[in-house]
Amino acid sequence: MTVAFAFLAGMTLVSALGVVISRNVVHSALFMSGSLLGISGFFVMLNAPALAAFQVLIYVGAVTVVILFGIMFTQRPQARRFRTIINRQFWAGLLVALGVGGFLSYLLATEDWSDTSAGNGAVDVADFGNNLLGVSPGSEIFALLFEVASVLLLIAVVAAIVVSRRKSGEDVNRGAVDRGAE
Amino acid sequence: MPPIVQQVIDALTATPPLAGYLIVGAIMFAIGTWGALIRRNAVVVFMCVELMINAVNLTLVAFGDFLPGEGGLGASYAVLVIAIAAAEIAVGLAIVLAVFRSRRTVNIDEVNSMRG
Repeated sequence: MTVAFAFLAGMTLVSALGVVISRNVVHSALFMSGSLLGISGFFVMLNAPALAAFQVLIYVGAVTVVILFGIMFTQRPQARRFRTIINRQFWAGLLVALGVGGFLSYLLATEDWSDTSAGNGAVDVADFGNNLLGVSPGSEIFALLFEVASVLLLIAVVAAIVVSRRKSGEDVNRGAVDRGAE
Repeated sequence: MPPIVQQVIDALTATPPLAGYLIVGAIMFAIGTWGALIRRNAVVVFMCVELMINAVNLTLVAFGDFLPGEGGLGASYAVLVIAIAAAEIAVGLAIVLAVFRSRRTVNIDEVNSMRG
């Protein structure tokens, strides 16, 4: 298990760094899918196999493809220099990220977790489904949250269509001129 | 089998502690924060937000598996987070497409006016 944990942690974190510092946007998207695949491996290790399947289907499958579509629609030539993909907040951003990561890691590492143990989760998919639908005791709020999430997804789909719809007679290139940045 | 080999095998097959998962999640969240702060391309900023959401998901599921008496509700919350993140990515990319169509750029340093 430790070997699998080390492998997945390395895969997840290296891919996450690749998303940030890759010059090619398509490479960033592929690094992101690798990182999310590592997270789904963690879900398997944490006794949530159904959630790992969701993760692979939704993130590694759907979200990556949607982002690749977005990249294709807004494509521009690959940046030749690292300088051009980042803004002026490189060191300030690194400082903030190191502060957040260091603070959280310190807090979580020094906390006493000795009264916890693995295997308390809903390993059985039936238990997981009962939790998600608010049937099992203690999870009644999920009956409401499930409905709210379904309405939210419907609104998101309609909003995505409305926002990205090309209006008839719309002037394509108004506003800013083509600066060819990035 | 010599005891040192047995110790190594025990160490390699031991269950990772809760803090390991939480620290991986924290570092991943920090990397996502960094990317969202420094990158210029709006699509890459979305990817970094996805990384942050997934780091939080990992933390939720780790707590759901490790905390006693919690009944594994962390994984159920993670499903809701995944649904909301999917909605966010759909609407966000639609906005990016609309901005690109009117301005011919997805550089968020240049998109500083709400007027189309």
